[in-house]
Amino acid sequence: MTVKSLLLAGGAFLGGTSGALASGFQVYLPSQQSIGMGGVGVGLSMEQAAQFMNPGAMAMLRQNGVQVGASATFARSAFRSANGGEQRELQNTVVTPFNVYASFGPKEGKWRAGVSVYTPYGSQLKYADGWEGRFSLTEITLQSVYVQPTFSYAITDKLSIGAGLMILAYGSVNLQRDIALPSPYPEGHITLDGTTETAFGVNAGIFFKPSDKLSVGVSYRSKIDAKAKGGDVTVTGLPDPNTTITGALLAPRFVGNKFDATLPLPASVNIGLGIMPNDKLTIGLDVNWTQWSEYRALRFDFTKDGAPASVGDLTRTFSESKRNYEDALTFRLGGQYKVTDKLALRLGGAYDMTPVKDGYVTPETPDNDRIIGTAGIGYDITENLGVDASFMFQAILKRTQTEAQLLDNGTTDRVAGTYRTNISIPGIGVRYNF
Amino acid sequence: MKPVFNYAAAALGLMGLGLTSCQPDIDDPKSSAGQADFTTYLAVGNSLTAGFSDNGLYLEGQQNSYPSILAQQFAKVGGGAFVQPLFPAANSNGSGYLSITGFSTSGTPTLGPVAPNAGVGIGADNSTPLLVKYTGTDNQNLGVPGIRVADVTTPGYGYNNPSGFNPYFERLLAGPSALFSYQQYVEERVTTLKPTFFTNWLGNNDVLGYATSGGTAPLTGVALFTTKYTAITDVLTAGGAKGLLATIPNVVNVPFFTTVPTANVIGLINNTPIPTALEPAIKAALGLPQSSPLPTGLRFGFYITTGTGAKRLATSSDLLLLTAQAAINVPSTNPLQPFPSGVGLEIPGAPAATAAQLAATSNALDSRFVLDAAEVTSVQNRTAELNTVITNVANQKGLALFDSNTFFRGVATNGLVINGVNNTAAFVSGNLFSLDGVHPTPRGYAVIANEMIKAINAKYGAAVPGVDATAYRGVRFPQ
Repeated sequence: MTVKSLLLAGGAFLGGTSGALASGFQVYLPSQQSIGMGGVGVGLSMEQAAQFMNPGAMAMLRQNGVQVGASATFARSAFRSANGGEQRELQNTVVTPFNVYASFGPKEGKWRAGVSVYTPYGSQLKYADGWEGRFSLTEITLQSVYVQPTFSYAITDKLSIGAGLMILAYGSVNLQRDIALPSPYPEGHITLDGTTETAFGVNAGIFFKPSDKLSVGVSYRSKIDAKAKGGDVTVTGLPDPNTTITGALLAPRFVGNKFDATLPLPASVNIGLGIMPNDKLTIGLDVNWTQWSEYRALRFDFTKDGAPASVGDLTRTFSESKRNYEDALTFRLGGQYKVTDKLALRLGGAYDMTPVKDGYVTPETPDNDRIIGTAGIGYDITENLGVDASFMFQAILKRTQTEAQLLDNGTTDRVAGTYRTNISIPGIGVRYNF
Repeated sequence: MKPVFNYAAAALGLMGLGLTSCQPDIDDPKSSAGQADFTTYLAVGNSLTAGFSDNGLYLEGQQNSYPSILAQQFAKVGGGAFVQPLFPAANSNGSGYLSITGFSTSGTPTLGPVAPNAGVGIGADNSTPLLVKYTGTDNQNLGVPGIRVADVTTPGYGYNNPSGFNPYFERLLAGPSALFSYQQYVEERVTTLKPTFFTNWLGNNDVLGYATSGGTAPLTGVALFTTKYTAITDVLTAGGAKGLLATIPNVVNVPFFTTVPTANVIGLINNTPIPTALEPAIKAALGLPQSSPLPTGLRFGFYITTGTGAKRLATSSDLLLLTAQAAINVPSTNPLQPFPSGVGLEIPGAPAATAAQLAATSNALDSRFVLDAAEVTSVQNRTAELNTVITNVANQKGLALFDSNTFFRGVATNGLVINGVNNTAAFVSGNLFSLDGVHPTPRGYAVIANEMIKAINAKYGAAVPGVDATAYRGVRFPQ
């Protein structure tokens, strides 16, 4: 499962009762070292984060080690409605994804075992009050923690394989949107809040290093169905059903107080190439292919006391919103130059193709192709202890969707307009090898 | 350590740069008036232009009229003040209007009147209630509810006199202008205000009156319409003003004609079993001996009176008016008429003579409550003809055109979702049409304003911003 798919999972819950949902901000942040190099690493065996990017490469690591890193994502978004009007911006929030990797193995042994904990998605978007898309989404908060035990084995000194058990150990979501109520009542508000069940997947890879100057890797992360069961549905701002006619009329529409949702987190295939022209320079080239086409719709089933119940729509007890994503490719290129034995400078870039088709863009994922630039620096304070700093900048290209596109695709549960988003992600990490 | 420090400082600097520069901006689609000049805007039209809603003209409706919304948007591209003949706050109920008083157990709304704040008196015709006069002299919203293009040159159309008058026009006129025809009033306004931009949405009542009366009021002839429509548009363009004309929506798409579905009524009546108590009367009416059974297939049928006075079985092509709801299945007060209104007997597949006999004995629904298929065709054909006239005038004069007919047909077919909020042409629940089933709600007017802005922008290369229609209310529900 790719980080991207985890983001998707987050997005799933965004739906709101109208079904609008999104994938949140996708931030592929394997480790501070990898981030500095544009996120490459499938074809490299540089660091402990191999267990995430390519478990097959872990057996080639020569040292036991523990590394910890954290990033801060600053997302800034702008939206302008198709009908004109002022530019709407997000209220500023910061989220802090982190990563922990540790691996152990005999010094000259053929095998290596590791464990990692990472937060592949996590997003907090809060749109400005009164923005045009408030009936799709006003606010989303996503959190996730993944744990992955991994085992890797070197079949020869040039070829190694590895596999990890991906565990979705913790996932939570909080989605909010406004509800249009009949005049003279002000808008109501609905919050979906839930946690996911523990879910499992496999992360496996092969790593081949025919020479000191060249290495290649392939990894596969399986599809996981992330399920949220019994999440809370909270509706506020409805007129009193006991004292008002309209309240009594609306009450049967808002009966459900729990929701279930399942989201397919698509599989990905990752191919990487590593080139080491000399002792000082390492260049990586990765391609990620993610089977986003698994993500066809976001559905919420509503219940009260275990029985299906309406939320918002009298005629049904669920909401469904089309996604119809397409498989997407990400291309990454990055390198590291060891200025001295202790100091490494890193630079990278990526082009991340959007899985979201025209007419399917949601406020939760104001997505488009992304251009990503990264830089990083690493310094070995002692032989065992090193620190890494990274910076990533993502420009989500300007994306406009029209009323006509929404109408053509039957996706009018979202808004027509133009989105543009920039994300800045500084981060810092510490590694200790022994 | 020295190099580290230097590099780290550089890295931190880079981060700071990224953080401060990451709020993206989407270029403001430069609001502009293009080739149009919105300095002084004048709105000409009927009830739709006045802001009529819920079967009345009242302050809130006026404040949310499409000309008011347009003017507010025009102001962003150089438009000036826009004065409407608002009812004073103390008379905010205006002419009075309809509101929902509650819902039946089946969810059908019950409507009740909201009275004018205070009686102003009755007109010289002893029937038309007078309205609070507009005392200002700078009116720019010339919408007069009820006016047809056929009426625009009628002198004294708003003059309080014993043979009847339009009270909405009457309240706008004062002193020497009291006898003005609508066109003279428009001329006076044009001369005084020298508008740089106008909208003209006249014509609806030239077909609507026919339709809402179930085909009993006249349709305006095409030749007369062409002459008068061209003349009043000439008045507006005389000073070189640019503007927008709007077509007439096909009135049969509005809830007034779609809320009582004829097919459902037919089904309900067909499926009602014939009570045993009625059998003797039926047999007598059919000339059958009391000992014989009822004819095979005999059932209740839904009968209407057509525009030509004929009684016949209704089909789904006949449109029932909103007012028909209360007029169907009313027990007859005539002792010789055993059937309630709209009901008769029918034998599917019976010979023509029998069918005619059954129709004759039916208590067919009055023509006032139904727009029969032939009348539907008449009103649609006339709407198309008049729209051709409007389109031609717009093209000849190089004016923008809001094809409201095409637009509302789309709304009737597909609904209209705005920013995730569903709106349809349905009565009450659809948000767009007010409680009279014909006139829009404030949200409906906001949608109209947005569509007009699109047409204006396209025609004049302007970039007038639209409004968030979801911020305007739909039907007001009871508390």
